[in-house]
Amino acid sequence: MMENRKHDSSPIVKIENLHLHYYTRRGIYKALNGVNLEIRRGEVLGVAGESGCGKSTLGRAIMGIIPRNAAIVEGKILVDGVDYLKPLREYFKKAKKFKPTKNQDLLKKVNEEMSKIRGQKISMVFQEPMTTLNPLLTVGYQISEVLFYHNPGLLASRRLARARATKEDTKNIVKILKEEGEGERLRQYLKNRNIMGLEDQIISIWRRKELHDLKKEQMILELCCEPISSMARGYLEQIEKTNSLPKFSKLPIVGRIVKRELLKEAFKKSAEFLGLLGIPDPDKVVYMYPHELSGGQRQRIVITTAMINNPNLVILDEPTSALDVTIQAQILELVKELKEKINSTYMFISHDLSVLSEVSDRIAIMYAGQVVEVGPKSAIFNSPKHPYTQMLMEAIPTIEAHELKGIKGEVPDMRNPPKGCMFYPRCPYAMPICKEKRPPLFKVGEDHYVACYLYGGEKK
Amino acid sequence: MSAQKTAKEDKHRELKLSMEVFFSNKSAVAGLVIFLFYFFDAIILQFFPQVMPFKHPYSLTPNYVNPIPLPPSKKFPFGTTYPGVNLLTAIIKSIRLDFWLSLAVVVPGAFLGVIIGIVATYFGGLVDEVLMRITDIVFSIPYLVLAIAIGYVLGRTLDSMMIALILVWWPLYARYARSVTLEVKEITFIEAARAAGSSKMKIMFRHILPNSLPPVFVQMSLDLGTIMLTISALAFIGFLPAANLPELGYLTSLGYNYVETAPWAMIIPGMFIVLFALAVNLMGDGFRDVIDPRRRSAL
Amino acid sequence: MIIAARKLTKYFEIKGVKNAFIRAVDDVDIEIKEGEIVGLVGESGSGKSTLGRLLIRLIDPTSGEILYNIPDDELEEYDIALENNDEKAAKKIADKYSITRLKGEDLRRFRRNVGIVFQDPYSSLDPRWKIEDIIAEPIIETKAMKPEEAKKRVEELLDEVELPREFKNRFPHELSGGQRQRVALARGIATFPKLVILDEPTSALDVSVQAEILELLRSLRKKYNMAMLFITHNISVVSYMSDRIFVMYAGKIMEKGYKNDVIKDPQHPYTIALISAVPQIKRTMQRIILKGDPPNLLNLPKGCRFHPRCPVALPVCGWTANELKPTLEFLIETKYFTEFPNVSIEIKGERELIVNNADPEKLRQVVNAEKENARVLLSIKEIASNGNSSIIRLHEYKTPKLYKLSNSREVYCLLFDPTIKERFKQP
Ligand SMILES: Nc1ncnc2c1ncn2[C@@H]1O[C@H](COP(=O)(O)OP(=O)(O)O)[C@@H](O)[C@H]1O
Ligand SMILES: Nc1ncnc2c1ncn2[C@@H]1O[C@H](COP(=O)(O)OP(=O)(O)O)[C@@H](O)[C@H]1O
Ligand code: SF4
Ligand code: SF4
Ligand SMILES: [Mg+2]
Ligand SMILES: [Mg+2]
Repeated sequence: MMENRKHDSSPIVKIENLHLHYYTRRGIYKALNGVNLEIRRGEVLGVAGESGCGKSTLGRAIMGIIPRNAAIVEGKILVDGVDYLKPLREYFKKAKKFKPTKNQDLLKKVNEEMSKIRGQKISMVFQEPMTTLNPLLTVGYQISEVLFYHNPGLLASRRLARARATKEDTKNIVKILKEEGEGERLRQYLKNRNIMGLEDQIISIWRRKELHDLKKEQMILELCCEPISSMARGYLEQIEKTNSLPKFSKLPIVGRIVKRELLKEAFKKSAEFLGLLGIPDPDKVVYMYPHELSGGQRQRIVITTAMINNPNLVILDEPTSALDVTIQAQILELVKELKEKINSTYMFISHDLSVLSEVSDRIAIMYAGQVVEVGPKSAIFNSPKHPYTQMLMEAIPTIEAHELKGIKGEVPDMRNPPKGCMFYPRCPYAMPICKEKRPPLFKVGEDHYVACYLYGGEKK
Repeated sequence: MSAQKTAKEDKHRELKLSMEVFFSNKSAVAGLVIFLFYFFDAIILQFFPQVMPFKHPYSLTPNYVNPIPLPPSKKFPFGTTYPGVNLLTAIIKSIRLDFWLSLAVVVPGAFLGVIIGIVATYFGGLVDEVLMRITDIVFSIPYLVLAIAIGYVLGRTLDSMMIALILVWWPLYARYARSVTLEVKEITFIEAARAAGSSKMKIMFRHILPNSLPPVFVQMSLDLGTIMLTISALAFIGFLPAANLPELGYLTSLGYNYVETAPWAMIIPGMFIVLFALAVNLMGDGFRDVIDPRRRSAL
Repeated sequence: MIIAARKLTKYFEIKGVKNAFIRAVDDVDIEIKEGEIVGLVGESGSGKSTLGRLLIRLIDPTSGEILYNIPDDELEEYDIALENNDEKAAKKIADKYSITRLKGEDLRRFRRNVGIVFQDPYSSLDPRWKIEDIIAEPIIETKAMKPEEAKKRVEELLDEVELPREFKNRFPHELSGGQRQRVALARGIATFPKLVILDEPTSALDVSVQAEILELLRSLRKKYNMAMLFITHNISVVSYMSDRIFVMYAGKIMEKGYKNDVIKDPQHPYTIALISAVPQIKRTMQRIILKGDPPNLLNLPKGCRFHPRCPVALPVCGWTANELKPTLEFLIETKYFTEFPNVSIEIKGERELIVNNADPEKLRQVVNAEKENARVLLSIKEIASNGNSSIIRLHEYKTPKLYKLSNSREVYCLLFDPTIKERFKQP
């Protein structure tokens, strides 16, 4: 389960001066205006800001899922060092008049390129909770599909391991578990016996709290000697090695057997995974349709689907905003648990700062398509620097009633944003320079940056 | 006052935007252009017949000297049809009748239907049940049967044909209007109006009706074509009161007997029927784009 | 009291299904004083909007009484009459103040005294109406003023909600969400109502806009001294806005009391969980995560409707054999499978189960060991032997009511029932 990733110090995502504009009949909406941000390995980055400030756009741009009328005007997003959006940017530079159809052709290419990492290395949970699950398919099938297409190797190796393992093996495994738990010795044993595919199956049984130890033992002992048709075996071994699917159309009968084996395995893995994340009755849930589940359960399933391939980065776009507080609390708990159990990186988008305070390590505040302040959670909450952040904090109602202060004025019209600081029209500290030039990010503390002339530049 | 100005500008902008959306739909523009041809034909012949070089603008001028259809030529660009009728002028005259007939059926039909649909939805319950059952019953009567029956009672006149068509057409609008108003009725501003003390009548006519009309209007523009097809079909099977009334369906039926020797006599008037149906359909699609908020803001 | 409701109930029928009702509001008592802001909190679907609409007769109640502008002493008399089942006396008072039977001109006059603001500022304004006409609608329709006066009043109202007067000639789509909500607010208070229902007026807005609207609401209350029912799912907002709080769950009031009492010292287990669930920047409270989801209003749990999720549920809170069976099955099949081979469970009645092939003593041990983890096990009153099998009998459940604590504090929970408290002392 917990595969130890190499601890790489380079950020997993680096966004440099990103400008993204939406072309519409009503005008050009400048949704992102020079975003600078990095997402570091292993952290939970919270992104906050009011609706329309470009949070979702940013998340989608990282995933490469932007609509055809979105122009990459300037800047880049490096995902693991790769600049996927380059063709779009170059098209925009060259083109005299931006044409969505042209952009779409290039987007298709970008999509092809990115589909290799999407769902596997990075995945996303979208804002609309009802629309993400297909109402016509069972929950299990929808999770399985992700596994099947992105991680067939794992499925094959799980299935093969159960075929390869002998009674002797499982007995030894139980013995090791009893003596040392799920440590290095278990891994070593599985490796030597070439049954690594058993690892997550064993662990997911062993960690279940509600089972009697004897029952667990019994279940583990059953993980062996499962016969497999000799025709399928070869293909499964090939899939295990390459972690990619063969062209099933070329092997009509065997293909069907192999596919069925893989999908069956995927259902098993899905149920295991749901159980691991504390969803009750996972074996039943996988056979349910989305409408049979409550909003909270559905959202958990969606998050699970996003996590199932152990992605390096998960983007959660307002995963709790449509839910009630008590259900929201359940989801936040799930995210905290995920953080502990699965070593991944998270970008958590929310308009609610207090939600972010529960889960994030670092927080970025966005305003009108820009990151105006970014820093460690404690710095943001204890000493907010940007006037907008400060005023935002005063506008949040809390249980212990304090005087609320709204922010006067309106968010700028993004078709025609201010030339200088985006917050200038509403800022009580505005200075002449603020009207003329956009402030860059100034360092104000340990790892804490603010885009405001109060903290640097040619301040008067 | 500057705000007022911007309000006006905003209104203009919305109008401009509507035009832009419509005109960005190429086939809708083509539909509109064709529709305008029919429209002006109908207007001119109806109100200024003197500008056209026709002695008898409202009837066909047969030529029994040479009744057999002639192929298109310099003199008769569309050829002639039995009995020696110049097809070009006949079509020009026919369009007038067909156009007004279609309008005369669609507009009252829609009016009746919308009223019934709105009343049914707003009062709901038994009223809705009864009105909709009646609608269903009328809807199930084939227009041909009704047209023949009414023709039998009132005589075969244009009026009885129109009455028959209106009678079979309104249920379509009643149903459509009901589905649209049902949607509008659920929007919160209706509840807000009730909370404000507005009477049911006011809510129906000042809130629900204006908000239901745009989709009904789109439906109307789509229906014009269907109606013209229907009228032509009635005329084709001999449902016209006078023998020399210029009507596209009738013209088609005149050419029918010569289909093998003079195909143009049937094909050309038939084409004008289909063309109109096609044009209003394309145009209606364009209107639908205009009222679709997603289309308005997309590119 | 500007408004008081007694035994107010609204069941929605389901079309085409007989005898199936959505019990949106179920036997609710609520009262609002002149000039008071009452907060109504609860999760979505708990019946808050339905209650708000009932109070101003936007929908008709299934049963119950709504009394408008009733003096306190007469309300007291009414309550006593209800308690003594003295229908005559109750009817006498109800006839004087009830609004449930108002019609025509009387209803219109009543509308003048109440206003409402809805949650979604996009759908609550007719897109084809000018702002001026929208705000003037209640003034003209309730004949509160003459049309010429209404015009002046509209300008006044625009000032009041801090919008430029020029906005009167605009259409709703030209305004931002916050501005629209101000227009809706202006409409809501146009006729100088004595009571305004605010149905989640800020839930669709950003926090910075929300703060401004809340501020505006407070200043309007001060100026007009109108009573408000502030409906929201956000308990922090309620804590900022209201004088008193009602907590609603699945169609019923769970707790009511003065704001400070309820927020600082919540008594009902649901209120406690609700408050602790609110994400907080500086967490001071241990978080209680409620399991599961709010119940289906078509088929409510027996007894206390909160019991399936209640972290401190008592043996008598409403458990039935149907709820016990899956828990027992699960335990027997997983953790204790070695001790119970060939066991099957049958439901014999609402309060009786038979466990075939199980030794009562062993069952008792399991129940004792697990009752901390699964509160449903607490409901077991006795386990008797019956030949080869065991019979499990459950406690008889009790349905709570609102128990009066002090200082107009009431809690719907058996923990506050004196007889129950005796029987099941909590550690
Ligand atoms: N497909 C689109 N076409 C045009 N404009 C869009 C599109 N998607 C988003 N926008 C605009 O971009 C801005 C940022 O939107 P979004 O990223 O969704 O903000 P957030 O998630 O912070 O609420 C908004 O002003 C929105 O109207
Ligand atoms: N007009 C209606 N017809 C049928 N059911 C309704 C109607 N209005 C509300 N309900 C149901 O009543 C319950 C309570 O709804 P509501 O009062 O809107 O709750 P809240 O405002 O607390 O979210 C919900 O289950 C809802 O589906
Ligand atoms: S840069 Fe100027 S206008 Fe912008 S936030 Fe700082 S002080 Fe205010
Ligand atoms: S009565 Fe009280 S203790 Fe019992 S379930 Fe309800 S809230 Fe919990
Ligand atoms: Mg968003
Ligand atoms: Mg509601």
